[in-house]
Amino acid sequence: MSKNEIRLRRQKLTGRGIERFRNYGAVLERHEQEKRIRKIVRVFTFFLIILIVITLLVIISRVEKRLTPADPAPKQSYSASYPRPPLL
Amino acid sequence: MREEDIRREQELIERSRRDPKAFGELYEVYFDRIYYFILRQTGDEDTAGDLSSQTFVNALNNLEKYQFRGYPFSAWLYRIAANEVNKFYRRQKGKKIFSIEEGRIRELVEQTNPGTGDLDEELIQQMLTYLKDLPTEMLQVLELRFFEDKDFREIAFILDITESGAKMRTYRALDQLRKHFNIRLKYDE
Repeated sequence: MSKNEIRLRRQKLTGRGIERFRNYGAVLERHEQEKRIRKIVRVFTFFLIILIVITLLVIISRVEKRLTPADPAPKQSYSASYPRPPLL
Repeated sequence: MREEDIRREQELIERSRRDPKAFGELYEVYFDRIYYFILRQTGDEDTAGDLSSQTFVNALNNLEKYQFRGYPFSAWLYRIAANEVNKFYRRQKGKKIFSIEEGRIRELVEQTNPGTGDLDEELIQQMLTYLKDLPTEMLQVLELRFFEDKDFREIAFILDITESGAKMRTYRALDQLRKHFNIRLKYDE
């Protein structure tokens, strides 16, 4: 089965039918609308990237904090471990 | 296209980048050609109207990216239009339609085979059957070559293929046409 369909037009194309599609005002309007949407998407993407970067930084800093060994307990002072000798 | 026309067109494009209203002049110049190019590949006036508008919206959206590379501005528009048509058929998933004017076929065959007089109806029908079985890529090249009068360099740019690829597709199609219908073509000289 063929992939294409060939239609034979008996009449020559005239400029009359085309006039109802010629509307530069509508094209301009759609262009402005799409431009606005593109700008919104760009701003949204920018903030999304910033949010992802901040989230990653927070996660990394938390993981780092968890992996670093806790500080060893401070040495007990002599005076604290042995009772002071009674005063004579 | 004369050098002066190309320069004027480039100035207009430059102006359109700053002020999209200026693009209206280019729209008026090329709308008909783009509309008929799409109509020949869809066979439906409403679809051709929609896709033509989309072509110009896309052109306006991407005007910043346009660079003059030795092709007329119309070639860039045709390329966008061809992409829109392809997108349309990808969405539709149907058969690709080529709507050809009968007068144009007669004109072309008379042009390629002088002195044969009128083409009979049977031969036209046979030719249509033959064209129907050609691969879409070949039909696209033939359409641009014979219905839009584009040279191979421009065809290659519009369809995003190499110039030798465009020539090969055309000559192969014409070769088959020659064998099937036993007619003399202008390439036979």
